[in-house]
Amino acid sequence: MIEKITPVRKSILANIRIQRFTPSEHKSAYFDNFKVSVETGMTVLEALRLIKNTQDSSLTFRAFCRSKICGSCAVRVNGKPVLACSTQLMPILEDFKKDSVSIQPLKNMPVLRDLVVDIEPVIEKLSKMHPYLMENRERIPETLEEESIMSKQEHSRFDYITDCILCGSCYSACSAASADPTYAGPLTLGKAYRFSADVRDSFQGERMQAAVDQGLWSCAQCRKCINVCPKDTRPAVSIQRMRKMSIDDGIHDTAGSRRAKAYTGDVAKYGQVNKPMLPVIVNGPKGWAAIEAAENYLKKHGIEPTLQVCTLGGQSSTQKIYDKVKELESKGENKT
Amino acid sequence: MLTYDILIVGSGGAGLYAALESRMEEDLQVGVLTKVYPTRSHTGAAQGGVNAALANLDPTDTWQDHWFDTVKGSDYLADQDAAEIMTREAPMVVREMEHWGCPFSRTDEGKIAQRPFGGASKPRACFSADKVGHVMLHTLYEQGIRHGVNFLNEWQVLSLMHDGQRCQGVTAINTQTGRVHTIQAKAVILATGGHGRIYWTRTSNALGNTGDGTAIAYRAGLPIKDMEFIQFHPTGLRRTGILVSEGARGEGGFLLNGQGERFMSRYAPEKMELGPRDLVSRSCETEVREGRAGPEGEVFLDLTHLGRERILERLPQIRELCIEFEGVDPIEEPIPIKPTAHYSMGGIHTDLNGQTPIEGIYAAGEAGCVSVHGANRLGGNSLLDILIFGRRAGKHALEYARNNSFTPVDTGQEEADAKMIASIMEGESGASIADIRRSMGNLMAEKVGVYRNGKDLESAVSELADLQEQFKMVRIQDKTKAFNTELVAALELKNMLDLAEVVAVGALERNESRGAHTREDHPERDDENWLAHTMATLGDDGRPKLDFSPVTITEFEPKARTY
Repeated sequence: MIEKITPVRKSILANIRIQRFTPSEHKSAYFDNFKVSVETGMTVLEALRLIKNTQDSSLTFRAFCRSKICGSCAVRVNGKPVLACSTQLMPILEDFKKDSVSIQPLKNMPVLRDLVVDIEPVIEKLSKMHPYLMENRERIPETLEEESIMSKQEHSRFDYITDCILCGSCYSACSAASADPTYAGPLTLGKAYRFSADVRDSFQGERMQAAVDQGLWSCAQCRKCINVCPKDTRPAVSIQRMRKMSIDDGIHDTAGSRRAKAYTGDVAKYGQVNKPMLPVIVNGPKGWAAIEAAENYLKKHGIEPTLQVCTLGGQSSTQKIYDKVKELESKGENKT
Repeated sequence: MLTYDILIVGSGGAGLYAALESRMEEDLQVGVLTKVYPTRSHTGAAQGGVNAALANLDPTDTWQDHWFDTVKGSDYLADQDAAEIMTREAPMVVREMEHWGCPFSRTDEGKIAQRPFGGASKPRACFSADKVGHVMLHTLYEQGIRHGVNFLNEWQVLSLMHDGQRCQGVTAINTQTGRVHTIQAKAVILATGGHGRIYWTRTSNALGNTGDGTAIAYRAGLPIKDMEFIQFHPTGLRRTGILVSEGARGEGGFLLNGQGERFMSRYAPEKMELGPRDLVSRSCETEVREGRAGPEGEVFLDLTHLGRERILERLPQIRELCIEFEGVDPIEEPIPIKPTAHYSMGGIHTDLNGQTPIEGIYAAGEAGCVSVHGANRLGGNSLLDILIFGRRAGKHALEYARNNSFTPVDTGQEEADAKMIASIMEGESGASIADIRRSMGNLMAEKVGVYRNGKDLESAVSELADLQEQFKMVRIQDKTKAFNTELVAALELKNMLDLAEVVAVGALERNESRGAHTREDHPERDDENWLAHTMATLGDDGRPKLDFSPVTITEFEPKARTY
């Protein structure tokens, strides 16, 4: 029964390509190649530290906890945002069947040096989002002799977001942030939703307005943030829920909320979206210009446009789906 | 010159709580200087719980039970008045955290959930799944934003300044620009965390837990206390020292040596793998010393016999951790582990308000030592310590800063520090930071680690002196001013070398075994001679000078510590 333990530990000589850039010295970024003997168990962060310790001590990156909880060491490995500390190198080398891997800084933030990006702009956006609990006195006692009562179910509405470590991976992957530098980004909107969904909070209106002002409706729901989040906090899902909450809260005067309402209303009514009318619903009377332009374009190509939307069959099934969604919502099951 | 009424150095739980407490009424300027971003701080890594006798799970629990557990756990070296304050105020600070939005897990009645913990007589560790430190840290940061606390992110503190009686401020370097600044402050609160990194790779601590605040206090002439007490955790991953929690052994994991023997049968035939932390750590270390380790000086935590299903169901996070950080799937093979330095009981000497002997200078959290942990900290008391004493230091500093004016300060220290940095940057020929650091870590783990003895400690002290000499010539290749992480590493190493020496000298002097300090040549606790705190100050010869001060005993007479 007792057997000597002989762990299998492999080793591959790999080429680690690292993007370098020191603003005071270089005009633009370039790549340096380092040969590293990658062993079983070696993380990207360990490889970076090994290079810094033995080959080039000027290599610059951030790292702190090295255990996936502080969020300092997010970088892109072969293009994908990851935490360097919790990413094993051997499986990447084996998967790609190459002995080379590239390491670059996160995107959508200015590079300060090598793999270090400036996260200050993101922190500023976060700060504007009122990312804190404002005591709801119906829930939170004035005295420290008592605790507030919050059910497991109420807690579960936002618990998944509290895993967020503000590493910035989602911000790097975000299509909306790359298109519009003023967009708040997935992590900041996630954090805003975390508080707005907390029954102990009383600040809903102002925070909601801050979210709307900072691009709540700009998210394209491409869900890349969900794919890259190392803590599985699903920012795009929080954004969806925040949008619904903003409509429920009476913030109807945004293009996004009008579009969302038109979608749900149309599907209930016709079984499909009344696309020709969308520009008018979203943008008001000036939407007619878009409709005229579209009509002219279609006519030019010999297609007869129609402003009539036909009602599709299966209305009763649609109604059933709507009823089911409402039922789940009232139970709160879709919140987790 | 930058000026704050209150400057807090360090942005973990203690620092942020102190900042929040002193900024609550928004009448004073409060700054937090941190070498990272606040939410990166090591408080976030605490997974298990924060102790408070809320009695939500066991209605018979009282703060007095918690008080006794703490004193017993400390092997009677904790000051009982300090431990009393901590345990008595615990329910209040935990509720305050909750009122600020901290998402603790809930009981069926919607109250804060609690669970049992090692060394605790009742289930009193309040938790939030496995992320309680993380959610506490974020809550404090969020409330800090709300109340207008200023954050100086990515600044490295250099020196602490006082006129012999009162606080003047600090000097620090802005890492992003490379410029040295004087920051004048009526009060400074040092909350820079522990110094587990003196064991370099043999620690569960973050890369930056280099004891910066403790080291600058020591160099500024302040006493640092009980530094020889370092808690070791038996199951750190081989490569990184990251903890595999006790849960794995609780679920039925075996500890095996390189030969595949379940070696705990030699040391604790009844409790086997579930013996107390210090005993299990010593057992692992003995196996290694006696030549029964694996190929790289490791032993193994084996879960394979539990089977895939049970591991996936009961230990999914531990499995994920082993795969991500060690590249080992515990379903397939045993996990390679080594004992790892986990917590620094010692630190800057303070009174019950967190104040040092210099007016206006405070310390809190793992950087400070009141002392509530004595010779060995109880699980769940580190998060409590940072809340209680962060809060008390913040409160006291607030009153102090309201009632006192700034103490004049010139730029002499700033100039001296700029010169010191310039001279480090000139180093071209000596050993590298990595070499000195590795030597320091190895020698600390071997000679000032789980086991200690007079002969090894003496040689450790002299080897550390050699390393300090080598450091004077340290080689720096990166000559860039902005974001020079090699320079930061050099400054951290300087701090660690100073503290490592104090730890080794204290361990050599203390001729007894107590709590986490195990002397092979003095295996018994010796209350007659050693029921005392070690106080180290920097001597005129540049070496630590030791004094001893009595332990405050108010309620519990020292007894043998058995579980």
